Amino acid sequence: MEEQGCPRCKTTKYRNPSLKLMVNACGHSLCESCVDLLFIKGSGVCPECGVALRRNNYRLQVFEDAGVEKEVDIRKKVLRDFNKKEEDFGSLQDYNDYLEKVETIIFNLASGVEVESTRKMIEQYKKENKEFIKKNQSKLSRDEEYLEELIDMEKQEAASRKQTTMEEETREKALKRKHKDALIDELMFSDMPANAIMATHKQTSVVTKKEEETRPPPSAAPTFSTGMRFTQQSVFNTGGQVTESKPYVFTPLELETCGPPYPDIHSIMNDGFLSNVRPSTEMELAGGFEPQVACQRALQDTFCGLYYFPPMNQPCASPNSSGSWSQGNSNSPMCVS
Amino acid sequence: MFASSTQLKYWTFSGETELKQLRIEANQNFIKAHGRNVPEEERASYFLTYEEERLLLRQYEIILKEFCNKFQPPFPKCILGTSLAFFRRFWVNNSPMDYHPKDIMLTVVYLACKVEEFYVPIGQFVSNLKGNREKFADTILTFELLLMCKLRYHLTVHNPFRAMEGLLIDIKTRFKELENPERLRKNAEEYIDRCLLSDIVLIFSPSQIALSGILYSAGKEMINMDRYVTEVLMTGLEDVQRCIYQLKRIKHMLKRDKELNRELVGQIQKKLERCRNQENNPDSEVYKAKMAELLDDDEDLRSHKRARRNEEARRLDKELLE
Repeated sequence: MEEQGCPRCKTTKYRNPSLKLMVNACGHSLCESCVDLLFIKGSGVCPECGVALRRNNYRLQVFEDAGVEKEVDIRKKVLRDFNKKEEDFGSLQDYNDYLEKVETIIFNLASGVEVESTRKMIEQYKKENKEFIKKNQSKLSRDEEYLEELIDMEKQEAASRKQTTMEEETREKALKRKHKDALIDELMFSDMPANAIMATHKQTSVVTKKEEETRPPPSAAPTFSTGMRFTQQSVFNTGGQVTESKPYVFTPLELETCGPPYPDIHSIMNDGFLSNVRPSTEMELAGGFEPQVACQRALQDTFCGLYYFPPMNQPCASPNSSGSWSQGNSNSPMCVS
Repeated sequence: MFASSTQLKYWTFSGETELKQLRIEANQNFIKAHGRNVPEEERASYFLTYEEERLLLRQYEIILKEFCNKFQPPFPKCILGTSLAFFRRFWVNNSPMDYHPKDIMLTVVYLACKVEEFYVPIGQFVSNLKGNREKFADTILTFELLLMCKLRYHLTVHNPFRAMEGLLIDIKTRFKELENPERLRKNAEEYIDRCLLSDIVLIFSPSQIALSGILYSAGKEMINMDRYVTEVLMTGLEDVQRCIYQLKRIKHMLKRDKELNRELVGQIQKKLERCRNQENNPDSEVYKAKMAELLDDDEDLRSHKRARRNEEARRLDKELLE
């Protein structure tokens, strides 16, 4: 707003950023004070384009670009008349043609191109489709009413919720105060030792807290989480039946180990494997790492892959063809037959 | 589990021949891509040959192992295994002329620490290195994503260490005739370490490697473990035979590993300096220019590059899928 000065007084804008720009039907903007000055009588001329204007037509500028403001204004007016929807047309092509016509009209009016012929076209269309326009207008207003209803309901709900929370708070405060007073009274007047009194009071306060929690929360109005009520005019319809499918049957996972079967967790624990494994430290036990986990992992690694035998497509050096089995291997009678 | 892992599906090969083929292919691809200016005869002397590459990489594996042993804070053994696995997998499909093994080595250890849940912050990590630490940190962080991409994001590595532990537990529980199985541990661990430094991890399953280690260690102590293997551990004649065949292959492969010739390595490194791909050399001008370009705020340039990169990526993906 500060870059755009008021075209008339220019200086006032930069000095007073809170001043607002008002725009009219011709699309040119003026700051509030200039509007007051020029339109004391109620009607005057725009200082830039010289078009006759009325003071009432000035509204607060929403868009920075005055051109956009003008177009939005024209669009609103045009769409009030050209309010057909997709269902009113036979084919998608027709609907698209209609939309294009509307856009051309708006563009013409906004940029000042062929304004006369465009206005004539609008008048003609209005005459032809009078009933249509009226029907659609009434439909539109029904939608708006519905939306307003929703907004009202939300406001009501928010207010009631606020009220209930406030009531709860006051109730809690009163209860606490009562407890405190009772405690002090007992400490002053009863004969029991102080610790016992404190203990019994703690108990009673815990009990009351539990009671409060178990008391059912104030029944929620029958609404969806989005705040829309269950109404008869519900927009949703559950399309199609819910299809029944077969219940899942658990089959235990079978792993291909490529090796001899290794002892499972039961035999690990019962057959004495654990005596050969370092017992878990306290820290490890706290983390859930019992010795059988490590043992099982080590054994799994041992047995898995023992039978791995690669697909022999390529010739590789065979150990039988070349000789020397030297030191340390005198005892092995295993030979591939 | 190994049987359902990506390690089995994508990174276990049928034998040394297949590995050799893939590596030669990587080497040839690089030479083809960058050797347009070099005439045919000079190619062998300008670019690294397959044997030279192998020698260089084996040297760097040993350096990697030394680095891991001296690392502060000391980390569990599995990180050594994982980083060696990453290192080895990377070079199956890429040539050391493209990316210098030194950069990749550091990145691999850093990534392995993360994967094996022993995260070391980059500052602490480079404090173990001598030299310009910031530069190392930059290099590592730049190559990390690239490394993961080349590993096809298969980051879980199954090492033989846990399998060996499991074997020892099993022996102690079900093969009680053997007294004090703990004496097998040290030799078996040494054996597995030697396996990690060879291509065995890319060919055999970790449980087979572990079993081979235990048997070797038992052999050293003059203990007969045949009854354990055939009766207690595995049953089913055919499976047992195949497994035993694999174990023999492992032993055989390990024996054939030759000693490294250190002097040759020095020469190869000098040769590498001349022929390496400068785009991936953090010290070169080309690389710095590329980095500056990437950081350039010119939207146009970036979007063009992005479009080109997307094209590339799409092409590579299509190739991967086929």
